[in-house]
Amino acid sequence: MTPVDGSPARDRSPVVEFDVYQHDSMAGSNAAWAAVREECPVMWSPRNGGHWTIAGYEDVAAVFRDWETFSSERTDPERSSVSIGAANIPLLIPEEIDPPRWKPLRRILAELLSPNAVERLRPRVEHWVTHTIDQFIERGEAELAHDLSVPVPSLVTMEWLGWPAEEAAGAASVFHDMAKFQHGTPEYAAGAARFQWLMEQVSKELVARRESPRDDALTAIALYEVDGEQLPQEVAEAIVFMTIGGGVDTTTALTSAALVHLGTHPEDRQRLIDDPSLIDSATEEFLRFYPPARTHARTVTTDVEFAGCPMHAGDRVLVSEISANRDESAFPDPDTFDIDRFPNRHISFGVGIHRCPGSHLARLEFKTSIREVLRRLPDFVLDQDAVVEYPNWSVIGGWGSIPVTFTPGPRS
Amino acid sequence: MRITVDTEACTGHALCLANAPDVFVLDDLGYNVTPAGEVAPELEEQARRGALSCPEMAITIEE
Ligand code: HEM
Ligand code: SF4
Repeated sequence: MTPVDGSPARDRSPVVEFDVYQHDSMAGSNAAWAAVREECPVMWSPRNGGHWTIAGYEDVAAVFRDWETFSSERTDPERSSVSIGAANIPLLIPEEIDPPRWKPLRRILAELLSPNAVERLRPRVEHWVTHTIDQFIERGEAELAHDLSVPVPSLVTMEWLGWPAEEAAGAASVFHDMAKFQHGTPEYAAGAARFQWLMEQVSKELVARRESPRDDALTAIALYEVDGEQLPQEVAEAIVFMTIGGGVDTTTALTSAALVHLGTHPEDRQRLIDDPSLIDSATEEFLRFYPPARTHARTVTTDVEFAGCPMHAGDRVLVSEISANRDESAFPDPDTFDIDRFPNRHISFGVGIHRCPGSHLARLEFKTSIREVLRRLPDFVLDQDAVVEYPNWSVIGGWGSIPVTFTPGPRS
Repeated sequence: MRITVDTEACTGHALCLANAPDVFVLDDLGYNVTPAGEVAPELEEQARRGALSCPEMAITIEE
């Protein structure tokens, strides 16, 4: 190869034909990532537009932390900068913004979702979990994705935003309905149409809050000022959109993962029933073992050697939370689900400046949902043959259907 | 035992607080603002767990 402009040859190596979009099941995706870690934890893949692939824990954490070298800033208006290959995704704020612009945009969500702010939401989370279980508890059967793990985060998030209650459940489930179906199916197209509708509603609600403020997160975002000025309408919209698009189906996927796990691992279920205080360490292990956000992406800002590989400004980088979480150099016996695991510094909420500001809310929703399932339908039996996974596990992993039967109980 | 928090590295996961509620102090946004200092002997185990739980490795312990 000939050097370009005096820079080192574009000898991107090693090169492996790795296509993350071929990951069409959880087991298949996990096995593919295990092979990458084993054979080539940092490599160039020509697929999906070409990108570096980073699989080891230390390297993934290093990329997430070094935002100056590995930027999140949107470069192509049509394509997400923070997931590989994803086209037509609206800009995510603050995720696709680098410092210094990032800081004040992050701050509004850090305030609205801080540990103390989330603690104040606890009664509402408990209310919605109870309400949601009440809808099916007398039936003795349920489809727990549709009946529990989808509605709880939807209702909590939309009420926190200040959404009209009648529309809350339908609005937030858009992302689940799109993730659940293959591109090109009529069901996916229906989801996409509702997505457009949701975007228009976000816009309308924000305008309405500017005119008549209320005590809700939509108002706080609509009226939030940076350097004495309210956020431009499209920035406020992108922030709200990110809390729905980034916060709802991820929490759904984590809850679904735990329900499927507890439905297939009676010994773990029994331990959590016998000692509910194990939920804290169990939650971190569910996050490590079943990361809802499986991969993210960055863009290299300057020519750099990383882990011995020559990276060039403009190169795309795929970082794998799922692979980092299964790296045996960071987690002893990584393929064993261990309720007591400690320490458990998984990457499922990211690390570095963009790490998830919704983590406190997500943990509260998740723990409340699982605690109440184990209290109110502790004997649920999973119809394992009828469990349906999402069709693609490249970016988000989750479940489309989790049918169960149980001893009916009273509404509360 | 002495603890020091690297406030530049802290990104507000708040796991230190969950594991060591009597040792660490977080600000309103959830970032660790515990002043460097000695840990009471009865809180040493908590402090160790808090430090080990931090995904940013922002907490240093000197025994
Ligand atoms: C289990 C549930 C969740 C998971 C697994 C998750 C995962 C993540 C991850 C890995 C990141 C880092 C992305 C990156 O570095 O590019 C992130 C960022 C973010 N998440 Fe979450 N998230 C969850 C729930 C939530 C919730 C409930 C909300 C809001 C209500 C939320 C809002 C955000 C926002 C706004 C960002 C961008 C932060 C920034 O750029 O500074 N997430 N999330
Ligand atoms: S766990 Fe670490 S990063 Fe999180 S608040 Fe504590 S010190 Fe900061």
